Amino acid sequence: MKPMTSSRVAAAAALCGAPLLADAEPAMSYLHTFGPAGDPATRLGWGLAIISIVVVVVITVLLLAAALRRRLPSADPRALAVHRDEGGMPWLYIGVGVSTVVLVGCAVWTMFTVAAVAMPTQTVLTLQVTAAQWWWSVRYESSEPDRIFTIANEIHIPVGRPVRIELASQDVIHSFWIPQLAGKMDVIPGQTNVTWLQADQPGTYRGQCGEYCGAQHAHMAMYVVADTPQDYAIWVRDQLRDAAAPASEAARLGEQAFTAHCAACHAVRGTDAGGILGPDLTHLMSRHTIAAGLLPNTPGNLAAWIADSQALKPGSRMPALALSGRDLSATLTYLQTLH
Amino acid sequence: MSARQRRLLVALTVGCAALVASCGKSDGGSSAGAAPQPEPGATAVGDVPLGDVAGAAQSTLATQFPNPYANDPQAVQQGHDLFIKMNCAGCHGYDAKGGMGPNLTDGYWRYGGVPASIFNSIYQGRPQGMPAWNPALPPQDIWKLVAYIQSLGGSYPAGQYQAWLQGDKQGDNVPAEVAASLLPDQAASTPEPKGGTANAPSVPPQADIAPAPGTGK
Amino acid sequence: MDTCIKIIERASPLLLRRSLAGAFALLLCQPMVAGAQLSGASTPPRAELGTGTAPPSPDMTIPEPGMKAPAAAIDSPEPPLNNAHANFAPNDPPGEWRRQARDYANTRYSPLDQITAANVAKLRVAWSFSDGTPNGHEAAPLVVGDTMYIVTPFPNLAYALDLSKAGAPIKWSYDPSPTPLAIGKACCDTVNRGSVYADGKLIYNLLDDHTIAIDVKTGKEVWRTKMGDVTTGMTMTMAPFVVGDKVYVGNSGGELGVWGWLAALDVKTGKELWRAHSSGTDKDVMIGADFKPFYSWMKGKDLGKMTWPAGMWKTGAGSVWGWVSFDPETNTIYYGTSNPGPRVPSQRPGYNLWTSAVFARDATTGMAKWAYQFTPHDQWDYDGINEDLLLDLTFDGKPRKVLVHFDRNAFAYTIDRTTGEVLSAEPFAYQNWSHGIDLKTGMPKVVAEAQPKPNVKVNNVCPPDIGGKDWQPSAFSPRTGLVYAGIFNICMDVTDHPQSYIPGTPYDGMEMTRHAAPGGNWGEFMAWDPVAGKKAWSIKEQFMTMSGTLATGGDVVFYGTVDGWFRAVDARSGKVLWSQKLSSGIIGQPMTYLGPDKRQYVAVYSGVGGAAMVSASEPGFPPRGGVLYVFSIDGESPHSAAGMLTTEGAVPAVRSERGMGGKP
Repeated sequence: MKPMTSSRVAAAAALCGAPLLADAEPAMSYLHTFGPAGDPATRLGWGLAIISIVVVVVITVLLLAAALRRRLPSADPRALAVHRDEGGMPWLYIGVGVSTVVLVGCAVWTMFTVAAVAMPTQTVLTLQVTAAQWWWSVRYESSEPDRIFTIANEIHIPVGRPVRIELASQDVIHSFWIPQLAGKMDVIPGQTNVTWLQADQPGTYRGQCGEYCGAQHAHMAMYVVADTPQDYAIWVRDQLRDAAAPASEAARLGEQAFTAHCAACHAVRGTDAGGILGPDLTHLMSRHTIAAGLLPNTPGNLAAWIADSQALKPGSRMPALALSGRDLSATLTYLQTLH
Repeated sequence: MSARQRRLLVALTVGCAALVASCGKSDGGSSAGAAPQPEPGATAVGDVPLGDVAGAAQSTLATQFPNPYANDPQAVQQGHDLFIKMNCAGCHGYDAKGGMGPNLTDGYWRYGGVPASIFNSIYQGRPQGMPAWNPALPPQDIWKLVAYIQSLGGSYPAGQYQAWLQGDKQGDNVPAEVAASLLPDQAASTPEPKGGTANAPSVPPQADIAPAPGTGK
Repeated sequence: MDTCIKIIERASPLLLRRSLAGAFALLLCQPMVAGAQLSGASTPPRAELGTGTAPPSPDMTIPEPGMKAPAAAIDSPEPPLNNAHANFAPNDPPGEWRRQARDYANTRYSPLDQITAANVAKLRVAWSFSDGTPNGHEAAPLVVGDTMYIVTPFPNLAYALDLSKAGAPIKWSYDPSPTPLAIGKACCDTVNRGSVYADGKLIYNLLDDHTIAIDVKTGKEVWRTKMGDVTTGMTMTMAPFVVGDKVYVGNSGGELGVWGWLAALDVKTGKELWRAHSSGTDKDVMIGADFKPFYSWMKGKDLGKMTWPAGMWKTGAGSVWGWVSFDPETNTIYYGTSNPGPRVPSQRPGYNLWTSAVFARDATTGMAKWAYQFTPHDQWDYDGINEDLLLDLTFDGKPRKVLVHFDRNAFAYTIDRTTGEVLSAEPFAYQNWSHGIDLKTGMPKVVAEAQPKPNVKVNNVCPPDIGGKDWQPSAFSPRTGLVYAGIFNICMDVTDHPQSYIPGTPYDGMEMTRHAAPGGNWGEFMAWDPVAGKKAWSIKEQFMTMSGTLATGGDVVFYGTVDGWFRAVDARSGKVLWSQKLSSGIIGQPMTYLGPDKRQYVAVYSGVGGAAMVSASEPGFPPRGGVLYVFSIDGESPHSAAGMLTTEGAVPAVRSERGMGGKP
């Protein structure tokens, strides 16, 4: 199956109104992976599955053959009822021998696979992913400190290059899982687990929290977008910029409303909003979904989310705000300027 | 399958569905949609005066606004979380014993020591540098902060506005002459002596005025 | 010395009288002390690295009861221990005290010598003045001519006292009415570190970000300049520093994520001339082509932005709340910057320039000449704002112009003040965060285990946030060549909590408990030899020593403790010659002046508060207060005599009125 490109996502969202993106494509299928972090394991998985099927078929055939084999009638009526056949041992020798070879082969193959999916020694990018109930905070590390920035829920990586992911949890155990790219890695509070990703084809790969972590565990998704090197550089450059100053009066009023209601939890670089409890919103409009993959990022969904997040994602840390209509539309206007 | 087996299967299914339906939603997050009790509108709480009222009538408004999250240990925990994450601990100390801002574990409350007054102090802010947390924090979150502060043992119960106003503490002796001179609602807020009195109004159980052990750092 | 005397006194049954024994002891033992000092025999051992470097410290010299002070002769003084000397410009009249540091070099040395080691034990309270404010009193009063000028902590009242009249009546007083909003934004009590006298004006900072100038004759405000927005959490507590026609002021608020700066105002009008920030682009920081830092990590373009994650330099702090020095020969000012914000280092990878650093700037244009960052990527709140004492001394056989700086990070730096090269960096207090400063690179070698981690409790990090020494300034005596300072012996257990930036609230995140370091004493008063790079002697104190230090020409140094003892110490031997208990703890700066009666007085404020409150739960910690004590020999002054003395010519004074329905 083809990976989702950004344009296909946009097209799907536009066509389908506001369905969950998951409906539009089988994004969580782990049967076909797209990078060296997952490919060896997928191959092993398929291989073992096929071998298992073959083994099951062979054994079933043999069992049936053994069960349904006709016996020749005995010539002498006074002969013993039980008559031992002779010459069955070769079956055992061959069977055990083949099984041993196959199993040992599978074990060796597994070892090679484990080695193949191990963290490469050189990675081009390090991300610090902090899992919280129920969203993902991602900080892009860099040896140049001023190229360190924080985003949420939608990760961009350069295609074809290994990316190191350091996982930390703010509260309970989560699990970082991008099925089309790699296996799961648990995110355990109090320690930092490390995994890696590499996407060999450009596109969007959906991920999900893979360890039950509370009421909204099912709505804790994220997207990994693999960009070509040029696209990636452009994306990084755009993310590093502070939010643009509001150009219109409406946006300015909206910034005031946003700072009054939202700044204690959310950050927008370039303004006084510096909250770290919720996702960084500096470039909110560059993301395709909101609420950790719950809804496509459309004005209607944004409005619904801000107006009553508890109706959409009950129990989430985003409180149900009693915003007046004017404040809500002003905030929305401002948020829409955060490209 | 047999009829008996079919009936068993249906019963099992119905039973499981009932079980699942009876699970309440966990009150997760910094604020869930449903608070345990109906919330007072914030403006009404704001009518609780900062001090005494001109004229003989004394205010009983504070009694009408107990903390909806009182006695909810999860709310206390979430309030503690907010206390750190909203930088309250930076001014009031990680043990809430004060620093840049005042001690929240002792019995001295300049702007009111009952839950409604503490709510107002956080909601409206106060001079000398306490910022107003409305609209940055919704009322549910502010009540959770109040629940945490109440758990520290220094505040007054909701029905004890007069006791706070008059500086009365648990264990005060109240001579008959003084008791006779108090208005009914002033008398009602007088901390009950041990054993209680027959016509004392029912007020929520009194919190310890002294800091509870183990709540400080 | 003590041992020698003990031996001889024990042998005294052989002598006829104890007094003879005492005299014998002094005669025999005195040369031993002098010889030991000159030959450097008092080199104490250095504790092992890895368990924390206890700085070199000799035996305690706590006075034993019954022991008299040795007769130190002023007429034939011993030579200084080294050739360190200072420029005492602007050479104010010896009987006056016109600026907090006494001079541009920050020596806090007064040449007055009526009070000597011989007679200091006769100091008594001559008169006192209560200013009505109970918060931490960190300033020294000024004396110009016959008038004493006092500035109080919030609400920053100013008083002028006429010293020539009985009762030191109030000539004028001024209430600048700062906003009470500032009270809740001051991290470490609503203190004020003093005023400066210049151009006929008394100039000082209000807590709410205004710098004001009062006409000293009339007590009326001449100009007032708004320097910042107090709702962002910015306050001002430092003492302005004046050179010529410029007033240098800086902000406070390193714990609230402010943008730190030093600004220059015109002394006549108060107009702002320039402002140099502590983070941001080179333009913000006023770094130009003439900037020549000595070490590599400070060389580059826009480092005040590049050494921070995207955007975080704006809330990077680096506030300038400490002291400024000035070298007239090169027209250079020196000052330090505070810790970076937030105090949780994991939120801000990078060196975080230009926080926890010292700047050398052209005093006229403000452009930076060099800078040195004491604690790159500071993880423990080691501000760099402590005073830079400008000395000329011989180092490695060559004459050097240096600055001596006791940093919060517990290292005593001797830095060439023309180039920014670190000549030596030795620990002066107990520390275990570093294996030392690499003099080749200028970088500290950080101990990995001492680094805080988010949400993890790290125990026993030394020194704590307030450092091995905080803002309390040191003093230098050219007669001994020693620098005297009150220092700390404290450690902390710290848990970091990553913080949101919410303007007007703390951008902090350090949860700490502090306790005394090995030894059990919270404070220590030391004499430091800046050439040898080690302590000459020290006095351990149970409570913090957070007062300023005064050195005098009478070879006496003065300091106070947080539990309220004001002490006079022999500048050479370190023997405590006199102690007086005051009404509250002492965190102010002692000063000395000549009264109109040509008598030498020593004055100090008692009024505990400030960062000394970190030890407030220690048994014996005093209540607050706000009283200025003035001492003279035998307590004599025109303000006490037989008969009925009354106050003449006083005017009604403004009052603090706290808690009395007036100001909060």
